[in-house]
Amino acid sequence: MLAPATGLLAVFIFVPMLLTLWLSLQSWSTQTGFDTARFIGVQNFIDIFSNSSIGRDFKAALVNTLIYTVLSVVLILPLSVAFGLLVHQKLAPGGIVLRTILFSTYMVPMIAVALVFSKLYSPTEGPINQVLGWIGIPAQTWLSAPQTALGSIVLLNVWQQVGYFTVLAVAGLTQIPDSLYEAARIDGANPVQRFWSITLPLLGNTLLFSAVIAIINSVQVFEPVALITQGGPVNATNVLTYHIRRVGIERAQGGLGSAMAVTLMLVLIVSITALFAFARAREARRA
Amino acid sequence: MQLLRTFARAAGTAAILLSTTALVQAADVSFLTHWGPDTVAKLEAAAAAYSKDHPDTKITVRAVPFGDLLTTLRSSGGGSDGATIAGIYDAWLPDLAKDKLVAPVPDAIAADTKANWPAGVVGAASIGGTLYGIPNEIDVYALNYNKKLFAAAGIADAPKTWDELLADAQKLTDKSKGQQGFGMINSWAAGVLHPFASLLVSNGGDLVVDGKPTLDSKQATETFELYEKLIKSGYSDPQMATADANTTGPFLDNFVSGKTGMIIMANWWESALKAGMGDNFADVATAPIPVGPSGDKARSISYSWMTVVNAKASADEQKAAWDFLSWLNGPTSGPNGASAMGDILMSMGILPSRTSDGAAFKDKLDSDAFLKGYTETLANAKGFPVVLGGQEFSESLQKTLEAMQFGQLSAADAQKTAQSDATEILTRAAQ
Repeated sequence: MLAPATGLLAVFIFVPMLLTLWLSLQSWSTQTGFDTARFIGVQNFIDIFSNSSIGRDFKAALVNTLIYTVLSVVLILPLSVAFGLLVHQKLAPGGIVLRTILFSTYMVPMIAVALVFSKLYSPTEGPINQVLGWIGIPAQTWLSAPQTALGSIVLLNVWQQVGYFTVLAVAGLTQIPDSLYEAARIDGANPVQRFWSITLPLLGNTLLFSAVIAIINSVQVFEPVALITQGGPVNATNVLTYHIRRVGIERAQGGLGSAMAVTLMLVLIVSITALFAFARAREARRA
Repeated sequence: MQLLRTFARAAGTAAILLSTTALVQAADVSFLTHWGPDTVAKLEAAAAAYSKDHPDTKITVRAVPFGDLLTTLRSSGGGSDGATIAGIYDAWLPDLAKDKLVAPVPDAIAADTKANWPAGVVGAASIGGTLYGIPNEIDVYALNYNKKLFAAAGIADAPKTWDELLADAQKLTDKSKGQQGFGMINSWAAGVLHPFASLLVSNGGDLVVDGKPTLDSKQATETFELYEKLIKSGYSDPQMATADANTTGPFLDNFVSGKTGMIIMANWWESALKAGMGDNFADVATAPIPVGPSGDKARSISYSWMTVVNAKASADEQKAAWDFLSWLNGPTSGPNGASAMGDILMSMGILPSRTSDGAAFKDKLDSDAFLKGYTETLANAKGFPVVLGGQEFSESLQKTLEAMQFGQLSAADAQKTAQSDATEILTRAAQ
């Protein structure tokens, strides 16, 4: 009974993947038919890791993507747990309101977020710098300098995504039995000890899932770059998806673009596999 | 039998009706552009006027931001379901023609175009002698400056040489007010390249000659060094230079709000300046590009736009598209012998390239001090190089110039990198 569904999955998932893999070994313009593709072996892969302008741009985009992903995950996961604890706690009212506010940022379309943030970040006219000025902090360069542009896009991403991951964290927190906290309290554990000994370990699976989703989302970042920075300044925000679009579609260099896409896919597979292996090893040690 | 006869009659009638319908079947023509809503409305009005006499042709307009135009054209415009007509920048033409995405102009329209447009503009719309589009706008770069800031700094006239440019930039720079003397642009390829190229040609140099980059020339060395001086001395602040996907952003905001003394920009941004400055637009003046130490006269860079037709559209759609374009760009579609296209372009402060449009709008061009500064520059303008791999070349040089703007590369290293990358890109593209 599963055969038709599996067949469809194979057609719509594996065929494009195999096609991309095949194209990565060809010299091919995306504006021409597949019949014009010319086999060139691994030359595209050599080119994207060479010191030519193709290679330098690709490696810079790969590094930008890695920095963006690491910063996003490192900021989103702890924040989501912290906000999750605030939403989940029953000592003070307002948890549901906080959850609604946090999740609402996730529902705002990226085009609206991009428009608002591009104005918020404006170095001379932007409200953020004006507010910083009131408290004596000098104006920041935000999107206008290569040193700060990528970090500013990360902050935008964290602002938009943290609500979604907070909901995941709350879902994980509700799975932890109250009896465990009760027992720890009777044993004299303070809130900090209860967090490190009960909450965090039992949130492990939720955090693993959150990390995987956050990594995949971050690696696929495209809209804020396309809408706000166009990869600049000095390619500081040129992430891989945007760069692949630029090479594969704008310049029609389909073979090179496919080689970049295959490399991105391999990096993602290796990262996610390593994450699962790390989680399994940790679980095995604990067992 | 009666039933059979009735059926046969009905079938015959249906066949006749169907064939008649096929004869007058509407040709759907879609027009892809990067123009803003006001200009799109004008184009739609022109299309509606055309459709009154051509009810068989249905014209729809689709607009995307400039930053997405080439990608949209590449990803959907090239297919049979893509836009029938697209407005394109001349530097994109060689690659689009190589990939057979654009159709050659039919002979009769090509002959008319060659007779009614300047040869240079027709050349920029042609590859190997074949005309691929009907040119419409021509853009040229000039120095824009804020007269109020000039007066406050005690500067009487616009700079004519690079030494004067540096001296004026110094006087106009006031960090306590967040004011820069000379504005650069980044995060937008043309915004970075065209002002640089304008200074380069005004110093007697070129970006590309006979398909080969000439960024290793003495004139280019001096242009890279001028940029370095402007940055290092603080007369130009790269953090005030960012552009967004709509070719607006802080670089425009800073000029509009009187925080940039001088900037090199094209005539088409007149409408953006008017919208942003209101009455203060009267403070803006235009002057030729200052001449460099190796230059003989003030020169500038020009480029043109054209409308092309999708080579993969059906024959009927192509025919209808060319007919519409011929009318839109012809002398009967606009007011007082102007073309409707010329009228649309003039509404944005853009110079139409059709010769008769220049005559039709002469009074308006002469009375517009801002545009007059540009039309006077046009005679000594050099066309931006139209070569295979032009987009990649532009993006590569953009990145190098931006790296120099932000102090990541010295002028000497930037020049070396620019020449080496350009050689690699243009050689690969030509293969």
